[in-house]
Amino acid sequence: MTAGDLFLQQAINGLSLGAMYSLLALGFTLVYGIMELINFSHFNVFMVGAMIAMLTLQAFGLHGQETILTGLPLIGVLLVAFIVSMTVCGFIGVGIERFLLRPLRSVKGPAAMITTIGVSYILFNVILLTIGTDSKNFPNPLPPITWEIGGAVLRLREILIWVIALILMGGLTYFVTYTKLGKAMRATAQDPEAARMMGVEVDQVVMSAFFLGSALAGASGMIFGLYYNLAKVDIGFASGLRAFTAAVLGGIGNVPGAMLGGVLIGLIESASGQLVGTAWSDVVIFGILVLVLVFRPAGLLGRLAPNKS
Amino acid sequence: MLTRRNAFKAAAGLAATATVGVSQGALAADKSIKVGLNMSFTGADAESATRVANGAILAFDDANATNAIKGYKFEYVKFDDGTATAGQYDPAQAATNAKKMVSDKGFVAALGPQMSGAGKAMAPILSEGNLAIITPSSTNPDITNPKFAAQYRPAGKAIYFRTVATDAFQGPNMANYMAKTLKIKSVYILDDSGAYGVGLADAFQGQIEKLGVKVLGRDRLDPKAADYASVLTKIKALAPDAMYYGGVGQAGVKLAKQSYEIIPNVIKAGGDGVYSTDLLKGAGFPAVDGWYATQASPHVTEDKSAEVFTTRFFQRFGTHPDDYAVTCYTGAQVIIQAAKNLVAAGKEPTRDAMQAAIQTVSLKGSLIGTVEFDENGDMKNKVISVFQIKKDTTKALDDTEGQYKYIGVAPMA
Amino acid sequence: MNTTTAAHPSAALTHKQRSLLLTIIAFIFFALLPKFWTDDGDLDSLANAMSYATLALGLNIVVGFAGLLDLGYAAFFAIGAYYYGIFTSFQVMPVWSDAWAPLAYVGLVEKLNQGGPDLVHFTLSFWLALPTGGVIAAFFGMLFGFPVLRLRGDYLAIVTLGFGEIVQICARNMESLTNGAAGLNGVQGPKLFGYRFGVHSEPYYYVGLLLVAFLVFVSFRLRGSRIGRAWMAIREDETAASAMGISLVNYKLLAFAMGAAFAGMTGVFFVAKLQTATPEMFNSAVSSMLLVMVVLGGMGSVWGVVVGAVLLQLMQTWFLPQSSEWLHSLGKLTGIGFLQTVDMVQWTQLIFGVILVLMMLFRRQGLIPAVRKVAPLTMQQQTASVVRGGFVGLDKIGRWAPGTGDALVIKDVVVKFGGLVALNKVSLTVPDGGVVAVIGPNGSGKSTLFNVITGLVEADSGSISFKGVELLGLAPHKVLEAGVARTFQNIRLFPNLNVLENILIGEHARLKTGPFGAVIRPPSVVREENTAVQWAKDIAAMFSNRLTPRLDQTVSGLSYANRRRVEIARALASRPKILLLDEPTAGMNPAESLELAEQIKSLHDLGLTILLIEHKLDVVTRLADNVIVLDHGDKIAEGLPDDVRKDEEVLRAYLGRSGGH
Repeated sequence: MTAGDLFLQQAINGLSLGAMYSLLALGFTLVYGIMELINFSHFNVFMVGAMIAMLTLQAFGLHGQETILTGLPLIGVLLVAFIVSMTVCGFIGVGIERFLLRPLRSVKGPAAMITTIGVSYILFNVILLTIGTDSKNFPNPLPPITWEIGGAVLRLREILIWVIALILMGGLTYFVTYTKLGKAMRATAQDPEAARMMGVEVDQVVMSAFFLGSALAGASGMIFGLYYNLAKVDIGFASGLRAFTAAVLGGIGNVPGAMLGGVLIGLIESASGQLVGTAWSDVVIFGILVLVLVFRPAGLLGRLAPNKS
Repeated sequence: MLTRRNAFKAAAGLAATATVGVSQGALAADKSIKVGLNMSFTGADAESATRVANGAILAFDDANATNAIKGYKFEYVKFDDGTATAGQYDPAQAATNAKKMVSDKGFVAALGPQMSGAGKAMAPILSEGNLAIITPSSTNPDITNPKFAAQYRPAGKAIYFRTVATDAFQGPNMANYMAKTLKIKSVYILDDSGAYGVGLADAFQGQIEKLGVKVLGRDRLDPKAADYASVLTKIKALAPDAMYYGGVGQAGVKLAKQSYEIIPNVIKAGGDGVYSTDLLKGAGFPAVDGWYATQASPHVTEDKSAEVFTTRFFQRFGTHPDDYAVTCYTGAQVIIQAAKNLVAAGKEPTRDAMQAAIQTVSLKGSLIGTVEFDENGDMKNKVISVFQIKKDTTKALDDTEGQYKYIGVAPMA
Repeated sequence: MNTTTAAHPSAALTHKQRSLLLTIIAFIFFALLPKFWTDDGDLDSLANAMSYATLALGLNIVVGFAGLLDLGYAAFFAIGAYYYGIFTSFQVMPVWSDAWAPLAYVGLVEKLNQGGPDLVHFTLSFWLALPTGGVIAAFFGMLFGFPVLRLRGDYLAIVTLGFGEIVQICARNMESLTNGAAGLNGVQGPKLFGYRFGVHSEPYYYVGLLLVAFLVFVSFRLRGSRIGRAWMAIREDETAASAMGISLVNYKLLAFAMGAAFAGMTGVFFVAKLQTATPEMFNSAVSSMLLVMVVLGGMGSVWGVVVGAVLLQLMQTWFLPQSSEWLHSLGKLTGIGFLQTVDMVQWTQLIFGVILVLMMLFRRQGLIPAVRKVAPLTMQQQTASVVRGGFVGLDKIGRWAPGTGDALVIKDVVVKFGGLVALNKVSLTVPDGGVVAVIGPNGSGKSTLFNVITGLVEADSGSISFKGVELLGLAPHKVLEAGVARTFQNIRLFPNLNVLENILIGEHARLKTGPFGAVIRPPSVVREENTAVQWAKDIAAMFSNRLTPRLDQTVSGLSYANRRRVEIARALASRPKILLLDEPTAGMNPAESLELAEQIKSLHDLGLTILLIEHKLDVVTRLADNVIVLDHGDKIAEGLPDDVRKDEEVLRAYLGRSGGH
């Protein structure tokens, strides 16, 4: 492998990571943009999504990487699994918002955030107690097609991730820009009071944001499973930290920002693994987080909110 | 299943339970020999903890059933040194358990811990109480190293006995095997940032360098991270002959899966941490095919007793035993033998007597051969066995006995 | 300290006396416990519980008192632990040279030979390490606190979480210092007069008990002092706290440092007992567990967090394993398979999560709330007719504002928010002892003017000088120190504190007690507190019997008008040279407005300079010497009240361009 090949391969690795982090960051930033709430449970919803996708695929009789499907059956199976995991996660998100966070909407201080920490624990431990702590083999019906680019390898699943991610991001952007509910969400994000006065049902908007964000988390979870061929109860924390940094780096509350941030963090993680060693990856990522928050809290694409006194 | 009938039963039972005390395995007539089982029943190692403890339970229950020692019955009490907060073994909890065992004069011996981190916390306390403990899997050499005797056995006598060889042998001997038998010229070393993995990888690295093999790099995996593509790509670019992994299944499973895709032609090896059901179940075939693993004990191959043991274990507990279940079973047998020797000589199996008996015991014909301990508590028979995973469709795919093929003894350094 | 164990046997004990008695009984109980409960393992468990209690106490200072949500608190625990571990174990052993001899003489190091050259073995005494560990941790507390000072609550939480992780990763990777993942070997236990603690739990238990008692004492002392009040003000409303003279930077750093010190000391104790230290002992799950303890016990409640810590520790080490056994027996008796194998200990973290959620939804104040419920006023007190108050004690106010020059000079101040010009070269002067009113329609920039004077908003150009001191560029607390005090348009009190505490916070800048004084409480500090309380009561008396009977009531329960009065009292407590009142009579009925106007006039008569934003023209006419009119950031008129009322421009601004009449 030449240096150029190495660079290319690490770039491919980084971009694949980036797709996953972008989706995860997107879901997270949607909620933050509207509620200014850091939802700690988001990353365990992601994990639950992975688990649900795994169970769905297993229900089709798929186990491990032994069965390979192509063409319509492949698309059909994947589609069903996506829909199931996204819907279930979406409803989990709505449940969290409706019953646990709405009563706290008027309470000042860290109460809502602490509640999301609690929910995060609950989700983690319910899965822990039912499914267990070990790595589960995630069913993967994808045919192992690869392409060689010089000395670097590009796999089918890497392309697939990006296709899915782009479809979802495109769908979200369309939704937020053109549909009534989407516009209502943007309005609420900018000024909840004014939005309410214009007839926007803020409760509905918040619920939709949670549904969408959690559904995206569910999709990310399934993508994770397809990519790594595994699902494990503790995948939420590490990926969550990186996705959160991605959201902040890009500009929290900002949809294109989340996408940009995700890709950047993915590439940085790949680079730091190559150059510094994975022992320090977490430190690098956290370091970036701290630097951004201290020196440019609006992120790369965000705009500083007007001074609220 | 909670039917109405069951609910009624439950309510009645609850009332009765409040007045009934519970103990395990002791009958009124015989005197009891109380043994503590300290494992990490909570957290990441919970499943293997149950497997390991079951090895001892099988041994003790057999002894009780066959009335191995007239007038005495074995009683075992489980102690959990894992806490939910630590997510694995917790040294503070291990220390508390050790104090509990020492404090209760009824305990005359103990089995465990699984992890050396717990062992370090427990050893000084056990030493003060002269309570002998036999560990089936703790391999950090420091605890029995005479250099650190003042810290780990302040009272002087050996109390930390092992039915495994330490990393001081496991790493270097495997290095010998890979250099001399597999004839590798270059290697990349990884660890999983845990106490065991780092120690093992360090020991391996020290020896492999001495043998003139080029170490192309050393890196650390985060067991919580999912993606090792970056470091594996780095390894791919360096193109070593082999990759050695010091660590356990948490990171090992992911490593096996991803290295199969990225560096399929590199020889992959690990310590006893990769000799586990976790790898077979979590990574599965074809990913784990061809991996080398070692065990820090002799392997008794064609012996009927091994098959019998596996079958009985599976029948009783529903899972296949792994190497630590075997070493724990053997440890329990050591305790049973020591007690037998004492009673046969007309002595009471008190704590002090048990420590002396275990120190001088000679258990022949166990699943790991002859078991005797040196003056530090280490096994005299320091054999490292080498295995390789070769897919065998005639056996269950998650049975370590079936899938790990014994290759031979690793050459001593 | 309260010493009144009364000579009157029939007198009921006050709350304070009752608390003290309970404390003493509890202390005696725990001190005697090891004598009749000899299970070493249980004592060890209790000693661990005490460590968690002291950690929770430290976290309580950061989260409960100061309102800074630190999710990586275990980092300081680690720092204290590794500090002691490294300097007593065999990990770091430099080569011996004679330069080390003096240290060996005092027992800090010893010469050791393990074959090879002579080595230095650190033998730091536990008793020395305990306080120094606290100091070192405090230093790191400030180091970590510094970058997060300006972050909002949620971001602060994430960054502190990050620091917690970074410390753990460093502990794991810096192997030469910490022996990495394998952990430190041979950490020495404490030695007291030649007696080495060894492995028995009892001596550690006692040290732990003393540590808890000491830190509870320190917590209470801090809470009831100027320092504690400053922290709570920051927690309740940062902006108002800053405007009342509290330096946000200093006090946030102090909170971090104090909290870290508690954790550092606990770290030293914990590792001395365990005699080993591994990085996993300080992971984020520990930080989270501490948070659950604080939430369960009550954020800000000293006894609450101790109880919370002990309860959760008991739950983990006794209740859950025990209930597993009960369930197993139950399962055996009823034949339900699931019950026979269930292990409740695995449910620990699930229970933690449920506790967090339930507490936040249903009992945010925790099991033992920090704010004691105060008896509400009797019907009689509530409906008492108002008696006009006197101003006897307040003549001191006037003494602060002598002179006959110009007090406040604002020149050509420009303030822009993005493209919007909020103030366009506005100039005005307030003479010493004068009352100037600023009026104008909504959005004209009046509140912005106040904000720029008090440093809450930055000016783009211009100058504001107060008695010769340039105010632009000063932090809000410095503006207060210079003598400028204000109230806010939509009342910013400290909602969970009572009336007296709110007013006392106004005095913050004029008092001097620091953290050491707060804990030790020498006579000078006691005197200062008493004087401060008296001054606060005098000011409250200005509003006759409206505030005085309500001094210990939480302000969030007061009527709007009373809250406005408290806010004014708070501003006056800082002995200002000029008082900025932002729509003081807003929300008051005509009678109340008139009453307040009279009170303001009396203050003015005592010599206080006043700058006033007001809508009600009758109030303006009554009070003001000079009236300034703003519209869309421009000054459009200035003059005597009557003249301004009739000014064309002013009428047009208020009533619209269509003219009007």
